[in-house]
Amino acid sequence: MAVRPKTLNQAKATYSSNSELAWWVFMRISGLALIFLVLGHVFFNNIQVNVADVDYAYVAERFSKSWVKIYDSFLLGFAMLHGANGLRYSIEDYIKKPGRRFWTKTILFTVVGIIFILGVMTLWAYSFEEMGEAIRALPEG
Amino acid sequence: MYRGREGQWAFVLHRLSGVALALYLLLHVLDISLVMYGPEGPFNAFLAFYHQWPFRVGLLMVIVAVIYHAFNGLRIIIMDFTDWGVKVQGPLWYGVLAVTAVIGIPVLWKILPEIFGGA
Repeated sequence: MAVRPKTLNQAKATYSSNSELAWWVFMRISGLALIFLVLGHVFFNNIQVNVADVDYAYVAERFSKSWVKIYDSFLLGFAMLHGANGLRYSIEDYIKKPGRRFWTKTILFTVVGIIFILGVMTLWAYSFEEMGEAIRALPEG
Repeated sequence: MYRGREGQWAFVLHRLSGVALALYLLLHVLDISLVMYGPEGPFNAFLAFYHQWPFRVGLLMVIVAVIYHAFNGLRIIIMDFTDWGVKVQGPLWYGVLAVTAVIGIPVLWKILPEIFGGA
């Protein structure tokens, strides 16, 4: 298993390329941001509501708000990059054969890319405003 | 099997939770994107499927994994950027487990009755 550096100076000395060092730094910065973004997301959607009540109307009403779109865009971007790079670390630790490693990573990046685009489309390519207004106009319950 | 000390267990749990969360993230974004089919689309049927109790217990495990991964990640950052963090990384890991329990238990307290209590 690859031993990853433990300090910034070690990281600078270890990584031959600037891009690996940049990913090392990115994992820490995005990780710090994700602590707040993800715990907030869990609080809004699992603690403030019962997940069993989540349905189309709930999601459409959420996506009709600008702050949710912006919040979720940061969440989507940081989480996808942080998660994809973490999976890449794991693949490079456990899959040694160059050919198999190459194809596993190719499939990973393709799947991540497609799902990321779907996520961006969901947040920005559809207008939930009208739906959101209609749902907010409904009586409680 | 090599049985390491705190640092190794911290790493194993961080990697397991990380891989699980990344795979969950992909599935989650994919199923939320079904809202694009509109109110008559398959979205509500999918969510009703996921609201069955085995998936809700799974979601609870995802939440606990998030809490652990978040605070152990903070421990890693402290280790990376401070000298004292490396010296106390063992005790810090028990701190991570304690924080995970302190936040996780009220979460279980809130959500388990929703799944099993009919509350």
